[in-house]
Order: sequence, then structure tokens, then C-alpha cells
Amino acid sequence: MSARLFPAQEIGSLMKPRWQILGQHGEPLDARAREEFRGANERYHFADDAPAAAAALLDGRSREAGAEGVRDLGALFALRLLEAAGLARVYDGEARRIEMYEYPIRQMRGFQFQGHVRSFDNKYYLKAAVTDEVRLERPYHVEEFDFVRRHARGEPKLPITGPYTLADWSYNEHYLARRPGWKGPSVRRAAQREFVVDLAQRAIRPTLAALIERGCRVIQIDEPAAGTHPDEADLVVEGFNAATDGLDAEFSMHICYSDYRDLLPELLEAKRCRQWAWEFANRDRDGRDGYEVLKALAEYGDSRSIGLGVVDVHRDEVEKPELVADRIRRAAKYLGDPARLWVNPDCGLRTRRIDIATRKLEAVVAGAALARAEFENPRA
Amino acid sequence: MIVRTGLTGPFPRSEALVAATRDLDRGRVTPEVVEDLYGRTEAEVVALERRLGFTTITGGYLRSADLFRPFAETWEGFTVGPLTRWFETNTFYRQPILHAPPERVPGAIAARLPPALRADPARAGVLVPGPYTFAGLLENRSGEAEEALVHRLGRLLAEEVRELAGAGYATFQFTEPLLVDRPPERALAEAVVAAYAAIRASAGSATTLVWTYGADAVPAFPLLDRLPVGIVGVDLAETDWEAIPSSAERRGLGLGVVDPRTTLVEEAADVVRIVHALKERRRPSVVWLGPGGPLDLVPWEPATRKLHLLPAAQQMLSREGGGGP
Repeated sequence: MSARLFPAQEIGSLMKPRWQILGQHGEPLDARAREEFRGANERYHFADDAPAAAAALLDGRSREAGAEGVRDLGALFALRLLEAAGLARVYDGEARRIEMYEYPIRQMRGFQFQGHVRSFDNKYYLKAAVTDEVRLERPYHVEEFDFVRRHARGEPKLPITGPYTLADWSYNEHYLARRPGWKGPSVRRAAQREFVVDLAQRAIRPTLAALIERGCRVIQIDEPAAGTHPDEADLVVEGFNAATDGLDAEFSMHICYSDYRDLLPELLEAKRCRQWAWEFANRDRDGRDGYEVLKALAEYGDSRSIGLGVVDVHRDEVEKPELVADRIRRAAKYLGDPARLWVNPDCGLRTRRIDIATRKLEAVVAGAALARAEFENPRA
Repeated sequence: MIVRTGLTGPFPRSEALVAATRDLDRGRVTPEVVEDLYGRTEAEVVALERRLGFTTITGGYLRSADLFRPFAETWEGFTVGPLTRWFETNTFYRQPILHAPPERVPGAIAARLPPALRADPARAGVLVPGPYTFAGLLENRSGEAEEALVHRLGRLLAEEVRELAGAGYATFQFTEPLLVDRPPERALAEAVVAAYAAIRASAGSATTLVWTYGADAVPAFPLLDRLPVGIVGVDLAETDWEAIPSSAERRGLGLGVVDPRTTLVEEAADVVRIVHALKERRRPSVVWLGPGGPLDLVPWEPATRKLHLLPAAQQMLSREGGGGP
């Protein structure tokens, strides 16, 4: 627990700047990208730690900067942006990651990509099937973390996709096929349990262990699929417990866009989870109190800290600090303990332009300062 | 017992169509190029449906944005609302917002049917939302109570069926996942029965199916067995087939035997074993074998592979005297 009330933390990815996208594809920067780079560097001085790559990029020699060099710059930019906004816990905006499913799956054996599935309209995602036992090629996110650890001025907090979500977003062939006969609901559930636990034990846990060995102390396990099948909350927990078994780090679980009441009390059995990092601001509108659900945690007597989503990542409108402070105030009331609150955006800000994401992060910090002043000087 | 087969929801887009529609959104290709590809891909789906001997032809509903969109965009009283999760999947629909009692626009839905259906109405499988799912998943700002809305949507869908049946369309499937996800009770259940009675009365000699999926259908069977439709379909990946109750009435039974949540191909022998058991228990006049839900939850290639289960099971049953398509 932090000594100050309401410390701020990152929660996920940031939009990649145009210069990074062009640069890592080996394309020269156009005038707009160059101007964005220069403007950002004047503000954050992020290129100081990678001057050769920055010079090559600005000089139209993107290939010479190299994809990794450009990604280094992207990671430094995100780190400095988060630090400048006043966050206590930072990461690299997931500057090296494309998304949260395909990359981890490609670090494992036992999967075959099957093709694209439509999410809505003309939006699709790639999906793999597990066709053999899950095996980890090698722990992942390790070099990424090393880079952050070397360069971060705040405390690094690493996000990693959890076993339940990786299983839910994959097709289960192998674990189903091992069971003879018709694959009805009970067979499907048992096979999914095996899949989740195998992913947790054989892929996620060794990766977490490698990260911890490198000094990673704060780890956020992302389980956005948890809310998709509320009746499988026990599988989410089983995966979480298997992935973190015997490991010593400060683990949190990030879930978003779910009715958390449907996941309780099963979720509370996640033994080594020390923080629930959930989205709330998105539902705090139109007369609805998005934070009231915290009462349920209080009723169950759960005493873990909360990563409180106080800004909505799906709308451009930037929350005023007063609104953020009000949200913190309500959450503190429902929990009955302000000292358990961290503040953060609802989810990754990659859906918002960098300038809007920056202002939202600043609103998080400013709102926390307002609330802190009230709680620390109640008569002021 | 007659065994029929066919798609019970949209088919996935091909990888080429995925790429083209993405490029369309990015302004890299023209709508004409994509439309041409839609036509060619739809022809491929039709050819596949014919090759597999399906009872109905759908063309895969490749252009369809979601189940409600043709209605929300053409019927009066609606606007198209925000993206909303489609049951327990990673797919989304745009929630229709109903501002006033809805009114249908004659001819509008017929004009939106896929070209493959319009080319051969007699063999077309027309997929529409069921009145209960439609009423339950829209945002109702019309002030009308849910029971009344189910009634009204049932009447409007009945009018659509009458118009389409008059044009030669012969098979109508009402997609009703909400019937098993949240089975209606009391007055709402009666409204559902009444809505289907109106639809049945308009359908004439056309085949009517109610297709449920996504949840265990067993608790809903007391209601499903009362629906005045030709065939009621259930998702056998979510429903324990051994718990399906017996029935004295000889009516059609739809079995969702192709699980769209896995790329694993099901075994025809397992399907035959289940059909035999249910034949004893329910004595269905017709068994309709199809995907348990929308097959576009898997990509094109595995979806194609999985569909071969249906003729394989149908042939095994036919050899045993089960009847043909």
C-alpha cells in the first residue's frame, strides 16, 4: 500500500504515435509524423535515451533506426508521458505489443491459427485453436520488462494476459478431442478447465517466474474475458491461482465491462490477488452510480485494494478533476477505507488519441489530488 | 422420420472477404470491388450448401451486419444504437432503439434479403429474429410493456412472413437465443406463444423453425413444446441431450450438432446415436440437423470443414431408413 492516498497507476496500452507506426515499418516519417515526434520530444525528452535511433528516424532513415530501435523510442515516449502525467506506477504503453492475444499465443507451441472471426461490422480478430498440449517456447515480455526497468523513473507495473482469457479467446480442440463421445456441456466445461490450468501452469507461471526473477514486483493479470461467462468465474480463479502458485509479487487482476456482482463471491478465491483493477467510470452516467458495486466487496468483507477506473476510455470528453474526485469519494465511502484506493483509467487508453489520453491521465492525477486534500484535511 | 439439414445462422466471411472489407474501411478499395467479391463468395457458399445437400439455401448472409439491423434500419420507430455484446461471445450487435411503436415498411425486408435467396425463394432459408429475442434485446423507449411489444413484433413478423410466403419463400427460421438464455414466464410466455400463433397463421404451407442456442434449453422445453411452429431447434453443445424431456406430440426437432465454439469436427456416429435416442423419446416427425448457433464464430475454412458432418450424419440415418432431405 502506498503511503499517500490515491496514488495513480497505468492500466494498459496507449495508442501508438504515427511516427512509431511508420518508423517500425521502415517507412520514412512524413511531415506530420516528424512534427508530432518533435513536439512530443520537446515536452518529454524521451529521445535522450535513444539518440541514434531518434536521429535516424528524423533524418528519414527509418530502416537504419530499425524496428526495435523505433519500438524503444515508442516505449520511452510512453514511459515519459505517464511519468509526466504524475503516475506512480508506469509501464511502456505496451508499445511493443500489437494486441493482447496473438503475441502470447505465438510464444507457445500447441496452437494453430485458424483465421479471422468477425467481431462486428467489418472488424475482425485472429483466432487460434489449441491442437496439442500447451508448451511455452520461452518466457515472454522479459526483454520488454528489462527495458522498462532500466528506463522507468516510476515503479514498473507489468500487464500480462491471463490464462482464462487466452483460453476463452481460443478454440479448444485438443482437450475436447481427448474425451470420447459427444461434447456436451459437462464435457466442454471439463475440457476448458484442463485448458485453462495447462495454460496457467505451463505458459503463464513460468513467464511470471522469469519476470519476477528479473525484478518485476508488480504484475497485472488481465482477464477481460472473465465477464463473458459469469458461470465460469471459478475457472478464472483456478487459472489465476495456478499461474501465481508459489510466486512472490504484487498481483492484481484487471477485468472490465462486466457485471462484477455476477463474478462474486467466486472471484474472491483468487488467493494471491492483492488488487482488483476494474472499470467503473464507463457505467457512471445517466444517473447511474457506477461505483455502487463496491458495496458488494465490502459486504463480502474483502479487504484488497482497488485499482479504481475513474476515467472512461471510450469517450473523448475529458473528465473534470472534480468529477474524478467525486468518484473517488463515493468509492471510498462504499469501501469504507480510502487507503485501499489506487486510481487509474478504466482500461487501456489505446482507443483515444494521445492528446486526449494525456489529458485524461492528468485528470486522474488532478482529481486524486483534490480528493486527497479533502481526506487529509477534512476541515479545509 | 425425415432428416433435414441446413445453416441456422450466418456463415463466416472468407479470408479474402475479410481483407477486402477491411480495405474498404481504410479506403483502399472501392465498394464495387467489395460488392463483386460478396457476390462471388456468396456463390461459393451456395455451391457448398448445394454440394452438401442442404434442405435450404442461405448464401451465408455474408453482408448481414447483425440479426436486427435490416429491421432496425427499415422499420419505422427504430434507430440503430450502441455496440452491445451478443450473449456470451466476443461478437457485438448494434442495439436497436425503439422510440415509438414499430411499423413495418412493406417490401423493405424482402429487398434486403441476400441475392442468393431472391434467386430461388422456394429453397431459401429466411433467417429473422424471433419476437421474444427482438423485444428483449432492443432498448425500449417506446413506453410499451414487454408483453405488448412481443405481441406487436409477432404481428409485424407475421406480416413479413405473409408477404414473403406470397412471393414463394417456403422456410422461415426465427432466431431465439433469448428463449433459453432467459426463458419467459407467465404473461410474457403467453405473449410469446400468441406471437408464434400469429406467425403460424400467416405462414400457410411454409416451414417455420424456432432456433434457440447459447444456453441449456431443457428448462425452456415446457414453453418450447407449446410453440405452434414446425420445428424447434436446440444447441446440443449447451444442452444435455439426455435431459431433453419426452413428448407425446410428433413435432419437428432441430438439433444443433455443429458446435460453433470449437474448430474440432464432430463425429457423425455420435450424432446418429443422439438422434436414435431422441427418436425413441420424442418421436419427431422431422429432425433438422444444423449448427448449434451462428457458424461465423469460427473462420471460413474450419466452418466449411465442420459442415461436412451434416450430410455424413444424414446419410448414416438415411441408410437406416431415416428418410432423405
